[in-house]
Amino acid sequence: MKTQLYSFHERFWHWLQAAAVLFLIVSGMAIHYPDRFGVLGSMARALQWHTWIGWALAINAFLGIFYHLTAEKYFHFLPRVDDFTEAAVRQVRYYVYGIFKGEAHPLETDPRRKLNPLQKFTYLLLLNILLPLQIVTGVLLWGAERWPVLFAKLGGFWALGPVHTAGAFLFLAFLVGHLYLATTGPTPGALLRAITVGTEVESSSVEAGSAATPTAREAGV
Amino acid sequence: MFSEEHRERSGCRPGPGIGKAAGLLLLSLLVGVAVAQTPESRNTPEAVAPPAPKLRHPSIVLKDADGKNVLHSGKPVSTRQTCGGDCHDYDFITDSFHFQQGKAEMDRELLTKYAVPPYNSSPGMFGKFSLIPNRQLTHAGVQDLSDADMSQPEWLTKCGGCHTGGGISEYDLNGRRLLTAEAKASGPLDPSYTIRNRQTGQVEAWDWAKSGTAEGDCFLCHVPKASRGARRKEMAAGNFRWANNATLSESGIVTKKEDGSFIYDRSAFNADGTVKADILNLSDPTLENCAMCHGFTARNATTIKAIQYADILRGTEKSGWIYNGAKIADTVSPGIVGKEGMNYPWDVHAAKGLICIDCHFSPNNPGRMMHEDAEKNLRYKPVSEDVSIYLKRPDHNFARGNIPPETVNLTRHNTMRGCRDCHVAEKLHAFLPYKSTHFQALTCQTCHIPAVHFWAYRSDDWGFLMDTGTSRISYRGIKGSIVDPDAEVTGYLPAYIPTKDRGGNLQIRPTNLITGVYWFDHTKQRPVFTWQVQQAFFEQRPSESDWTYRPEILKAFADKEGIIDLPQAVYDTPEKIALVRGLLQKYGGVADPELRIDITPWAMSHSTVGKGQAIKECTACHAKKSLLNRPLDLNSALPKGVPVFFAGRRVDVVNFRLPEPSFDNRVLLKSFYIMGQSRVPLVEWMGWLAVAAAALLSLLHGALRLLGGRR
Repeated sequence: MKTQLYSFHERFWHWLQAAAVLFLIVSGMAIHYPDRFGVLGSMARALQWHTWIGWALAINAFLGIFYHLTAEKYFHFLPRVDDFTEAAVRQVRYYVYGIFKGEAHPLETDPRRKLNPLQKFTYLLLLNILLPLQIVTGVLLWGAERWPVLFAKLGGFWALGPVHTAGAFLFLAFLVGHLYLATTGPTPGALLRAITVGTEVESSSVEAGSAATPTAREAGV
Repeated sequence: MFSEEHRERSGCRPGPGIGKAAGLLLLSLLVGVAVAQTPESRNTPEAVAPPAPKLRHPSIVLKDADGKNVLHSGKPVSTRQTCGGDCHDYDFITDSFHFQQGKAEMDRELLTKYAVPPYNSSPGMFGKFSLIPNRQLTHAGVQDLSDADMSQPEWLTKCGGCHTGGGISEYDLNGRRLLTAEAKASGPLDPSYTIRNRQTGQVEAWDWAKSGTAEGDCFLCHVPKASRGARRKEMAAGNFRWANNATLSESGIVTKKEDGSFIYDRSAFNADGTVKADILNLSDPTLENCAMCHGFTARNATTIKAIQYADILRGTEKSGWIYNGAKIADTVSPGIVGKEGMNYPWDVHAAKGLICIDCHFSPNNPGRMMHEDAEKNLRYKPVSEDVSIYLKRPDHNFARGNIPPETVNLTRHNTMRGCRDCHVAEKLHAFLPYKSTHFQALTCQTCHIPAVHFWAYRSDDWGFLMDTGTSRISYRGIKGSIVDPDAEVTGYLPAYIPTKDRGGNLQIRPTNLITGVYWFDHTKQRPVFTWQVQQAFFEQRPSESDWTYRPEILKAFADKEGIIDLPQAVYDTPEKIALVRGLLQKYGGVADPELRIDITPWAMSHSTVGKGQAIKECTACHAKKSLLNRPLDLNSALPKGVPVFFAGRRVDVVNFRLPEPSFDNRVLLKSFYIMGQSRVPLVEWMGWLAVAAAALLSLLHGALRLLGGRR
């Protein structure tokens, strides 16, 4: 039996954000290292693309907030008390030890608890600090000539540029880890399939394959 | 308008009349503006606006100092009487910078306000120390022979060829008119009345009665056939009173006699005693007039004469600019390397027909004047002074830009039209992101003078004197000698420095760098005079041209054959510097000399190219190897370990680690954030470390999973 894990809206939002983040990283590299990473042609063109995609990501982020709030999906992201203590310890133990021993995933699935504690912390930081930081610094950099006084007061290019760059590095580091953890499902492609078509692997096949196989929601994706 | 009586008194014949002339002047300006704005001239790249209808100056009588027609008296022409009198206000005109050269700015408060070093007596050429000749005008009131360098008469013989008389050669340093009863030396060393004998080193009296004075040379700029070379000869010979006549020597009006005086050719004069208008041809300064002193300027020249023909190309020498409407590819001489691919003009403005005074205009010229009146929000006031007032008192403090660290005429910096007073930059740069930021951070020249296709000064080294008794000069952008018309001119790529714009904002602009090495006198807080350096390097000279190195110099610097040539004339050890320092103390009388490096940037404003050749590639600047940080070689023989001064400030801008000591501007441009080039090392290191850590941990984790046979 297939379990519908991700709704169409969630999947659409995820992939749209993924594409935007990927393109922003590529175009950002083309701006930051124009002589070594000129994949988009001229730096001016990269800057143009970066601006447009940046706006798309910002709008998509806003729509994401709207969706998660109105559809009451935000509970997935809210840590519970035990997420800071026992659950977190168990999750860490699983990643550094249990996963190599074929142990079962430490957390049971719950429709209202799709993310493990480490994911919650990561997304809490990512979606509430890093993404807004990138959006705000990005908008300020875009608006350097529109609000020059504010821009200068906030430190100008010498302050906002490096902060935006640092955020981009963190996004890139997250992306690397995110892509790896996506391979920790029942099969290396299982979780990718789940976030693409929305359904997780059949419960029966999971049980038959390995008792330790976590569901997608249990894996640290 | 002038009355008939006024015209008679002034010597101007009615002819078209001043009133009519003024009307014609305005009409010609209006026609000129209208012509310049026709669609044809705007849209055709090669279009040159046809010249405006020629306005001819009325025929004039050349008068001597007594106001008599020189044709009858045979005396030197007096511009004070000829041009001044009732027509033009001679004293007003010659009180301007072009005639005073800083003499009117010998004001300690002014110097302090503009941070001009105190060893200068003025910020202008007449008074400030200049490294290229390593000379300085002696201060007024000097009491000690060791404080005397170049007296006023010597300055006039050296520099008076270009600097057009008037204030500097009519009045002494105390403001007394020379050759009048009140004009007397205030002491045996008074620099207005003495000159140093180069042979004996002693200061001797200057005979003004013999030399005469040189009045403002109006002809040099207003007679198209003026001869600066002939003028220079007379000034150099101390024959000041005939210098203005010499300027007319190529016009056919005068001929030089053997005794140094000039005679007037009657065929150049009308029957009424006036000079034939078509021979004198008084007019606005032409490109050629300005070119005589300021640099190579021509409407359409395929031959750029080497320096020995052109005599002087000061502006061109300093940064290599060529203001010429001809295409570089069409250049016949000198040999411009790679000219085949340069099918565009030397200067796009010259090709469009702009002349010097279009931008460097007289500030009160009603047709050109600008008004920077922030309170009234006015940039141009169409209803201005009556043209007759302008004709009577034309302001000769010509509009100029700002070429830091140049201090000449410093109270008039940034008075000319800037690029954006004519061009609407925003409309022409659609491809450019962050337009305002670019326009604020860069001068237009930064992209529109991407390269210099001529040679320019590279270094002038007065720290070690060659066996000619003078400095070692090197040039950049040329293979061979600058006096060889067949030398290969390779040109060079400029260095970039930040300079202040009108509003005080820093802008990156292209420059040539001239590196000087010189001795500084710590005790007197001024550069060591050339004669003192000569005393340190050479033995007593039996004749003017005989320069013999002291044995100490030969022992330390000469090769096995006892020769000191360019390879030997190098301070490659601290001991050699110490040796010369000791000789300066012993023979030059300098108590505490210090060897210094001075790097002077010369900003570029000409040799401008259009959009087709301008820099448009982002990665030209926005890259790790940005042209903005491009090293420019300075001087192969630059001594290490001595203080480096850049634009008058002590800043370490020399990179000795490259094969040639080169300019390193990173410290100067550190305030500019250049996307794609500027980096915060901590962000870069930590950022890539985070990415690498994520990748390594993933790989390690995955490998362990594979090894464990698990998922």
